[in-house]
Amino acid sequence: MEFHDDYPQYELMAHHSEEEGKKARRKLWNVFWIMLVITIFELIIGFLAPGQGWSGTTWLKVLFITLTIAKAGYIVIQFMHLGHEVKFFKYAILVPYTIFMAYTIFICLNEGTYSSRPENRTKLDPILVKQQEDLRSGAHHGGGHENSAEHGAEHH
Amino acid sequence: MAHSVEIDQKEAWSGGQSPFRISYGKIFMWFFLISDALTFGGLLCAYGFIRHKYAEVWPKAENVFTHFPFVEQHLPLAYVGLMTFILIMSSVTMVLAVEAGHRNDKKGVIIWMLWTIIGGLAFVGSQAWEWYHFIVGTSEGAMRNVWDQEQGKYVLERIYGANMTVNEYGVPQFANFFFFITGFHGTHVFSGVVINFVIFMNVLKGTYERRGHYEMVEKVGLYWHFVDLVWVFVFTFFYLL
Repeated sequence: MEFHDDYPQYELMAHHSEEEGKKARRKLWNVFWIMLVITIFELIIGFLAPGQGWSGTTWLKVLFITLTIAKAGYIVIQFMHLGHEVKFFKYAILVPYTIFMAYTIFICLNEGTYSSRPENRTKLDPILVKQQEDLRSGAHHGGGHENSAEHGAEHH
Repeated sequence: MAHSVEIDQKEAWSGGQSPFRISYGKIFMWFFLISDALTFGGLLCAYGFIRHKYAEVWPKAENVFTHFPFVEQHLPLAYVGLMTFILIMSSVTMVLAVEAGHRNDKKGVIIWMLWTIIGGLAFVGSQAWEWYHFIVGTSEGAMRNVWDQEQGKYVLERIYGANMTVNEYGVPQFANFFFFITGFHGTHVFSGVVINFVIFMNVLKGTYERRGHYEMVEKVGLYWHFVDLVWVFVFTFFYLL
């Protein structure tokens, strides 16, 4: 069977003029600059976070996730042209996905909290726990874990 | 816009009209992308679950990915920032190729698709470099109690880098998810480059010029943007948070 996808009727949808193209390009470059600025902003915040004690704070998480969703929105609506499709196609794409992901996120965080209780977790290597504590309290990364070695071996 | 052009009922799908006034190929590319997005969404949620569970011992990205090519200093986030820039840039060149296709501008499509392919290859190469440094690890390594099958007990060992069972930077699950999610994404980028290359060759041969429209470029463009979209999330959840 011969493969073909050149149904003539869709030619109509895929064309625009030189002026329209100019407008479209200007818009796309604007989107690019917005996304670049967002990314650089995220990197600066991420770079400063450890020194400023922002790491792991709720507002930082909310900020990063909001900016991520903003970037995702620009990609889907402008780059993937979902904004130009008919209304019900947008719904067909976004609604089932959003419902399903909202449920999955909810259930993972909920169960993650439950299973993070000490009695529900696998026992962690005490040396590893010490290493992470040191890192969090600002000690130098790597090496220097020999002191805790005996304590770790005893445990097992 | 050209999108609002009425389609003659006779020319549409055999059902009588085109659902959503969008072509068959594009609809099913979207449906495929939704299923793929569910896979990535599921993976990232599983990552969230395990990270939440081991929150206080989860390694921080700024302590793990600190290298930059040809620079000796610790530069957290700089390299992944560069990778993100490369991928966003290649997404822009792709959308410009699609736009050139709308004007039947063959030369424009060729140039922008070529840039997209180069960007994709640069990204895959950067990821390989990142993996290499993650697997090899630091020169100091870290001490761990590693299970010894022969002795039947845990023995203290110095380990370097990360693999599926041990990870010098923290819990092994971090490495498992890092390998799986960035690996799955990297596979998508690589297959995207291959698909882009096939379409690029067709553009060079003039297949779409003869056909009268560049819809195939638009369809692979959808896939390519999706790859960029996934990276935006991977970037946030692995490197920023």
